[in-house]
Amino acid sequence: MAVLEANQVKKQYQMGEVTVSALDDVSLVVNKGEFVAIMGPSGSGKSTLLHLLGGLDGTSDGEITLAGQPLSQLNDNQITVVRRRKVGFIFQFYNLLPTLTAEENVGLPLLIDGQALDKHRERLERLLALVGLSDRAHHKPDQLSGGQQQRVAIARAFVNEPEIVLADEPTGNLDSKSGTAILELLRKTCDELGATIVMVTHDPRAASFADRVVFLKDGKIVRELKNGSTGHSVQPIMDVMAGLEL
Amino acid sequence: MEQSLTDPNALPAARASSARRSRALYIWGKLPQLTPLILALRNMRARLWRTLLTCLGIILGVAVILAISITNDSTLKSIRNVFDEASGRASLIVEASSPSSEGIRESVAARVRSFDGVVVAAPSVRATTLLAAESENWQIVFTMNGQAAGNTLQVLGVDPAIDRDARDYEIIAGRWLKDGAYEAIVTDEYAAEKELELGDDLIIILPGGGVERLPIVGLIKRDGAGLLNDGDIAFVSITVVQDLFERGGSIDDVSIVTTPEIANNTNELTKLKEGLAERLGEEYTVSYPASRGQLVTQMLSTYQQGLQFFSVVALFVGAFLIYNAFSMTVLERTREIGMLRALGSTRAQIASMVLTEAAALAVIGSALGVAFGVVLARGLIWMLGAVVSTSVDIIEVPLSGLITAVGIGTAVTVGSALMPALQAARTSPLEALRVQARPASRLRHISWISGLVLMAAAWISIYRINWPPEISFNIGSLSILILLFGATLTVPLVVGAADRIARPVAIAIFGNEGMLGAGNVSRSTGRTSLTVASLMIGLAMVIANNSLATAFITDITAWVETAIGGDLYVRAPLPMRENFERQLLGVPGVGGVTKIRYFSVKVAKSEIPPNVAEQDTVIFAAIDPDTYRAVGEFEFATNQGDADANWARFRRGDALFISNVVADRYNLEQGDTLRLVTRRGEHDFYVAALAVDFTGQGMIVSGSWNDMQRWFGEHNVDRYTISLAPGYTTEEVAAEIESRYQDTRSISVETTDEFKKQILDLSEQSFRLFDVLGLIGVVVAALGVINTLMMNVLERQREIGALRSLGLTRWQTTKMVLAEAATLGAIGGVFGLAFGYVMSKIFVLALNTISGYDLEYIFAPEAFAVSVFIALGVSQFAALYPAWKAAGVNIVEAIKHE
Repeated sequence: MAVLEANQVKKQYQMGEVTVSALDDVSLVVNKGEFVAIMGPSGSGKSTLLHLLGGLDGTSDGEITLAGQPLSQLNDNQITVVRRRKVGFIFQFYNLLPTLTAEENVGLPLLIDGQALDKHRERLERLLALVGLSDRAHHKPDQLSGGQQQRVAIARAFVNEPEIVLADEPTGNLDSKSGTAILELLRKTCDELGATIVMVTHDPRAASFADRVVFLKDGKIVRELKNGSTGHSVQPIMDVMAGLEL
Repeated sequence: MEQSLTDPNALPAARASSARRSRALYIWGKLPQLTPLILALRNMRARLWRTLLTCLGIILGVAVILAISITNDSTLKSIRNVFDEASGRASLIVEASSPSSEGIRESVAARVRSFDGVVVAAPSVRATTLLAAESENWQIVFTMNGQAAGNTLQVLGVDPAIDRDARDYEIIAGRWLKDGAYEAIVTDEYAAEKELELGDDLIIILPGGGVERLPIVGLIKRDGAGLLNDGDIAFVSITVVQDLFERGGSIDDVSIVTTPEIANNTNELTKLKEGLAERLGEEYTVSYPASRGQLVTQMLSTYQQGLQFFSVVALFVGAFLIYNAFSMTVLERTREIGMLRALGSTRAQIASMVLTEAAALAVIGSALGVAFGVVLARGLIWMLGAVVSTSVDIIEVPLSGLITAVGIGTAVTVGSALMPALQAARTSPLEALRVQARPASRLRHISWISGLVLMAAAWISIYRINWPPEISFNIGSLSILILLFGATLTVPLVVGAADRIARPVAIAIFGNEGMLGAGNVSRSTGRTSLTVASLMIGLAMVIANNSLATAFITDITAWVETAIGGDLYVRAPLPMRENFERQLLGVPGVGGVTKIRYFSVKVAKSEIPPNVAEQDTVIFAAIDPDTYRAVGEFEFATNQGDADANWARFRRGDALFISNVVADRYNLEQGDTLRLVTRRGEHDFYVAALAVDFTGQGMIVSGSWNDMQRWFGEHNVDRYTISLAPGYTTEEVAAEIESRYQDTRSISVETTDEFKKQILDLSEQSFRLFDVLGLIGVVVAALGVINTLMMNVLERQREIGALRSLGLTRWQTTKMVLAEAATLGAIGGVFGLAFGYVMSKIFVLALNTISGYDLEYIFAPEAFAVSVFIALGVSQFAALYPAWKAAGVNIVEAIKHE
């Protein structure tokens, strides 16, 4: 079942008198429980696509349907609410609030939704346990390592039980060991919780954790690669990327 | 792009722009010393909103200081100018040492004239009257300097043969006076106001109750002599005034014109003055014309000092804003500065770049501040017009005031930028390579301990050290500023705790967004502290001024209720006779009558402390102890013993009740003596008691009717106070008195309630100027709130973007910033209330010390309530723009932002 559908999506920017096309006729379907990685060289439009999929930006043409709702028919507030309740975000720089504890940061989407954290205490504890930070629940971000902060961000992305989680270079700011741990965690959420993830990355090793890798070049999807059931085969991804960067 | 460059229409514009840029680059290329300035100017342009806010802080600070300087200077100049201009070419004035209604002998003029160096000795005699047409609706107008001008007309009797050699008259219609002729000259403005024309009769009332018709033979410009009595003046031949106003052969003063050699040489003039004084004897005083405004200026001095202090506080708050703005600029540009350091800029170059920006802002801000200061001064002078009697015609920008305002403005701006400049200079080249700028520490280095030490030092200076009077005001003001600065340094200590207390309140009001917003205030303690401190100072000033007004008005109300006894007041534009008392007693419903006379008396030089003016004048209120207590009472100061015993001593004569202010000024206590200059030379009066009396800003002593007659030769009455017999109403008795005597005596009857209301209204008005200055302080603080919130929003672009992407709506984002502002406002409010309380007590103490009043601090809850409202209101208002900017953050751009 499709959770996310992009249909002939275009995105153009006006740079002075010049129109730049960032995405051109991109169509993509992401099914429930699927882990999709989007790869491509710099400037290929992968981040732009992620922003459009998450309703952070509007399309110039085409339609994106998120959890059954065509985004073009919603106003800014309605899109915001869809994002709040149906989408989880993971950023490269974690974007945790320094004034909140780890537990409060995980509960941030609930707070934004006007809910009291006390009612969701059990869920928060479960998520913190999932990311292995039960003992850091009351620490503030500046008391956590980069990897731990990203784990908090992952827990935050899942707190609203979203239809889909969008991750933008989630390991881009981490060392190799922490990065691997994060990717394993994301894989685990798909396998054990049935989460749906779309991840933008430029790292073939990160992409190897996904079920499917979509390659973008000059704003167009140029190739798709399905990882085998065993997964973790980096070489084919690297080969495609090498071809794209030529 | 290429297309546009090849477009034939686009080319000239592109070339012109390129040429402009080239010229700038050419100059810069030739003068590398301009680099800091050019970088500073570009930075100011790049951060335009902050440049404007900082500039506004400087503008307001400079403007307030200059405006107060202009207001004070113009008021004093205008007061002196009236006496100066009215005296024309006269360099000296001879008058009675002890002014009285009998004046001085006419023969003095001849004696003066015979003195070597005297060219003209012009005598004059003054009388106050009223136009007959206006006698029915005559009213008294009260002002802060105690003068009652109202619609009275002053008649100045002059010698037509010589007066134009002494005073300046610009006749614009008709002719000059003829000696001994029953005719008058008035100012054109007065004539126009009263709808009189050349040839019409000036119909004035006379002391006996009759009227006199004086044809108007000339109109003069309201200038020179025409400035007297605010232009409400008629010039009549001296013999005619003596005849009409029963002045026999007496005059009031002699204006002396000397030879130019003496007039233009201060030493020679002083010599002549002293020679004349010696020759004429103690009975006469020789003075400079401008010094005649001395009683008025003396009364205004405390008020003006207060205004000056408030203006300094406004700039003090401005300094916080400037410091904060520069700190933010440096923080924001850490990477840029790091890059400049990496490229080889020395620490000195970096510091000079920041200081150059401060200097450029100081120049622009000061220039605009001067312009705004002149406009503000006009407003303040207009407000001051309601509380002083002299209309302020001269609005001059005093050079000293200009230099002070611009100098302080520049010094404060550059001084405030100094720490941020040094902070910038310390930036490591490595900063350029970091992903995120290191949060700069600001007040962190300055320990809160030094804040406590400063506060303790200020407290000791204010409460424990008895400074000499001549420096006590300046030291006191400085101590208050140190206290406020010390308080500012302690703010960071409690911001964290205050934030935790404020958070539940923010959640209750703004929901979960309240929690997010409230938490943000403790993230940048330095910035928050300065913003809180500026709010605190603004509010403390508002509260302190309000509390002072409450203390003053409560005291004045108590005094009014006690001292202004009786039910009705009978007044007249012309002094009334003593025998009118018997007639008033004969009116049905009149239970008791007492008379009072006010005149000014000089204090003997031996009494005057060295630090105050050369001459001192007090108001002498003569009362009849036999009848006074039947209608009113004195509010004696504390510890003055038995009231009856005080009255008994007063009745015996040669005794005074003196106000607290007079007691303080001459360091007197009950049982001491005060030496006054009487018609019969200097005489010691026994201080029978100290009393609360606000008349003439407290520069008043009360003596018995008999003493007045004996020592000052006075016998007329200024006011009769009447108490009603049982069963009568004020309206019916007032109507009866008016029907009997209004036509014949031109009297005015008013109820004491009306009189009390006038006094209280005047008192309240006199505090409004301070309210304006306090509010300017709050406005500067509001700019600080905008600055801080704006910076917080800009600094957290990525975070706001992330929150928006997590589902925070624009309205929720707005609420979050509003909650942050409310928390800032609440913390500033709590500090403001606490320091407002402390400042209120200090202000009351300061006023008591400076003026000699004996006011007590009274808790004024409404002032505190208003301040809470201001704190929250101002912070919410100031947050609107930053909140709007935050809500409008482009999510995609923000999350890309590093």
